[in-house]
Amino acid sequence: MDQSFISNLILASVRMATPLIFLALAELYSQRAGLVHIGLEGLAAIGSLVGFLVSLITGSPLLGVVAGAAVGILVNMIYAYATIDLCAEQTVYGMAINIFAPALASFIYRVYFGAGSELVQVSLMTSLSSLLNISSESFLVKLLLDQTPMVYLAYGLVIFTAIYFNKTKSGLNFKAVGEYPKAAATLGINVIGVKYGASVICGALAGIGGAYLTTCYATTYTDGNVAGRGFIALAAVIFGRWSAGGVLLACLFFGFCDALQIRLQVSSFGVPYQFFQMIPYIATVVVLAVIGTKQAGPKGSGKPYLREER
Amino acid sequence: MKNSGKLVNFLVPVISILLAFIIGCIIMAALGANPFTALQALCIGAFGSIRNVGTTLARSTPLIFTGLCACFAYRCGVFNLGGEGQFIMGSIVCCYIATQSGIEGLPAILLCLIAGAAAGGLWALLAGVLKVYRGQNEMIITIMLNYAATLFMGVIYTNWLREGSVPQTQSVPDATKLSRLFGLRATTAFVLAILAGLLVYYFLFYTSKGFQLRAVGLNMTAAQFNGFAVKKYILMSFVVSGAIAGLGGSAELLGTQFRLINGFASGYGFDGVAMALIGQLHPLATILVAIFFAALRVGSTTMQAATGVPTSVSDIIQALVIVFTVAGLAMVKLPQFKAAMVKLFDKKKEVA
Amino acid sequence: MKKLLALLLALSMTLALAACGGNKTGGETPAASGDGDAAAADSGKTYKVAMICDSSISDGGWGMACYNAMIDAAEKHGWATEVSDSIAQSAYYDNIVSYCDLGYDLIYAPGNQYTDAVLQAAEEYPDIAFALLNGAETTPAAAVNGNVTSLLPDATQVGWIAGALAGLMSETGKVAFIGGMELDTTKGKYEGFVESAVYVAAQEGKEVSALDIVYSGSFDASDKGIEFAKAMMDQGADVFFGDASAVDSGARQAIDEANAAAGSVKVYDIAQPSDSLGQNECIIGSQVTDNSSMVGLCMEAVENGTFGGETIYGTLQNGALSAGALSDLVPEDIQAKYLDYIEQMKNDTFMK
Repeated sequence: MDQSFISNLILASVRMATPLIFLALAELYSQRAGLVHIGLEGLAAIGSLVGFLVSLITGSPLLGVVAGAAVGILVNMIYAYATIDLCAEQTVYGMAINIFAPALASFIYRVYFGAGSELVQVSLMTSLSSLLNISSESFLVKLLLDQTPMVYLAYGLVIFTAIYFNKTKSGLNFKAVGEYPKAAATLGINVIGVKYGASVICGALAGIGGAYLTTCYATTYTDGNVAGRGFIALAAVIFGRWSAGGVLLACLFFGFCDALQIRLQVSSFGVPYQFFQMIPYIATVVVLAVIGTKQAGPKGSGKPYLREER
Repeated sequence: MKNSGKLVNFLVPVISILLAFIIGCIIMAALGANPFTALQALCIGAFGSIRNVGTTLARSTPLIFTGLCACFAYRCGVFNLGGEGQFIMGSIVCCYIATQSGIEGLPAILLCLIAGAAAGGLWALLAGVLKVYRGQNEMIITIMLNYAATLFMGVIYTNWLREGSVPQTQSVPDATKLSRLFGLRATTAFVLAILAGLLVYYFLFYTSKGFQLRAVGLNMTAAQFNGFAVKKYILMSFVVSGAIAGLGGSAELLGTQFRLINGFASGYGFDGVAMALIGQLHPLATILVAIFFAALRVGSTTMQAATGVPTSVSDIIQALVIVFTVAGLAMVKLPQFKAAMVKLFDKKKEVA
Repeated sequence: MKKLLALLLALSMTLALAACGGNKTGGETPAASGDGDAAAADSGKTYKVAMICDSSISDGGWGMACYNAMIDAAEKHGWATEVSDSIAQSAYYDNIVSYCDLGYDLIYAPGNQYTDAVLQAAEEYPDIAFALLNGAETTPAAAVNGNVTSLLPDATQVGWIAGALAGLMSETGKVAFIGGMELDTTKGKYEGFVESAVYVAAQEGKEVSALDIVYSGSFDASDKGIEFAKAMMDQGADVFFGDASAVDSGARQAIDEANAAAGSVKVYDIAQPSDSLGQNECIIGSQVTDNSSMVGLCMEAVENGTFGGETIYGTLQNGALSAGALSDLVPEDIQAKYLDYIEQMKNDTFMK
């Protein structure tokens, strides 16, 4: 355990945490508006593919991210319409998205590339340090500057979200929709509008989270590259107790577990690595068991809101 | 009005399936394939010969079990999304007994099935306790427990019970494998699944306990008011539904896979929930829906080989069936829709 | 009433599918896709080969090379081809059986990990030929119907070819190997790689050691390749070799990034099993296996009715193994030395 091991571990944790942050924020916005969304895995899958294709065609990873966000919104509108207007069971519909979107992504990939067997690679987004032409081996430079703009965006969004939900009137209204939709409606808040707004934000962030994987992380696309991150993000929101700061810490912690797990595999450590991969899920169950129902997230979460019942 | 509601409930999945197939056909046509040839190939792949029928039934078996698992739990108002984890825990225990205990043959099969069911039930009970005594959302808990179970199975086949170079467990001894039906790929596991379906059906609709359980599912508050032991029923529905999934896990291991490997049971839990919903939470309908989905999966390879339409089109059709049915069933429950229906029927018009 | 309707609905779905399948029960399985329209001249029949693969066929490594090998061989022999890629370990058997049911003549399974699934299917389909790339020497004898052939490139020589280059090029004295699964062939490649690298380095008066082998546990997790490579570079490794399909591609990406950050190419990768020079900047050479000619041998055997029960070896001596082109990053004197070592391997004087 020398210093470089630890600094590399920290760098890896940050790297692994970034896509989780986007996905977890997506979940946070959705749940804060009373929509439990287990379909992030699917949204990220389609975002990842579209981000990959667009950045391949245009040569611009940034456009890839934008396209990923757009397709995320588009697909999430199916979820939004079904759960908000038709009052379909949210979890079940999230599950339906999880089956539908990856199938669509896999289909588009196969149709676009045909039966070809070339390895298709895209160029990744450049990091800030190479934009600024700084190259240094120092840990702090690597941690703070050797990151793609998306990483700064992720942390910026966390700060924005924290301020929005706690300090702005609009944010408080937003939260009210998730807690007591009927009361919020009597106060003149457009409940349906907020829910749709949340779904747009959720779809965009989840799409970006997926696109991050193919525009900033790996140069190739493979089916199933989201690899459960959507569910870890769901866990992070619960583990982070539905606050932006908590969610950030949870993502960093889960990212750390993942980075550690990889390094333990490399150094042939005795304990099976799967136990480290289990940490996010077990931790979430434990947190839920400990905090009990009163503090367990927005109270209107998961419940349909019927306009008539106002 | 009462009858019209039932007619609507019946029509929603049918229309959804039709819509999904129409969209699927449009996609195929856009790819330059003849949709009818493709669908024909799909059917031939699934039912074209007695052998293919056997394959389809074999593929449907695990889906029937997880579908019944979801069906049973949902009837009691419990949203058990943990069918996959319970299925896996059942198969892990089953694998341990089948490969490590030294017992073989029928006694081993019986022991495996019982222990598998028990393991699935216990794993579900964990979520049940958290729901009943800590008031937690069982959907989130069961999803998390699914992942924990999948990773735990990973430990089993990559470490603890690994055999040889490939990460997989030892194969179940030949004597402990479930026998095949008429030499087809479907095994007695399929018979077991059907029996389980009949039992669930009998319990839910022909026993007083089943009636009370459904009453809890329909209206928990009213059931409590009537003096039903709601908590007991909720816990019971967790355990029984978990046991059905665990039994399925054992049967799948002894009948089809014979060893734990990467990808075992992946997606079965959610699939089961979808089957149960499309089957309107009716155990026997769930079985038929599971066979239908299995047919789509088995037939898709034939379709790809015959027409060059990628198998993912079949996945998309399956997903669309779920997307449309769930939305459709939610829609017909909306007050606006009900009001519209009443209007229609007052005028004695046919529903399209 | 509701129950009845739910039942009817599900029944009608299944029957609809069954009926359209039933019409065709007597019919032949549909013709395969049109990639191989040239019928085999003498028999007048178009033979069909199907490949299954757990990684993607566009993974830039193993899957791609094996797929291209099949396409190559099929073009030469006028065969039709079909492929199912990115399939889970638990679905190997299902996919193989689908192709067997479709009347494919040859099933091509490129990897040791398919052994159990292939043996199981081979037992049930005695008339179909199975070619198992990297199959063990003992596998053909284990097939009761004698319809399995192992294509066995010499894993140790594969490792040697890469190891010699690694030993010559390593400056940090650390070389690394990323495996997919703990297959015997992967271990063989690793051992050959290490002994060759250590030996060659010692001949050059250097000291080289290899990091412990790591396994990604799957062949399609390119993100794991990225993280593995980063972790191994942190431990000082500067020449990489691997046996993990898409995971290798991920590793190469990480190496390229590290080189770009350092401003010069200091960390290298050696590819297999096809010549991949130019795919990534860090690739300095490739170990090349001529899978195409081995698959071609199987096709000829199927056409002549002589297929089965043998092991086709691939070695440097018989030309199935070779070293691919070297990049400019390898200095000319080292290129000469490397070719000299390859000659020694061919003449059986290497490490002697």
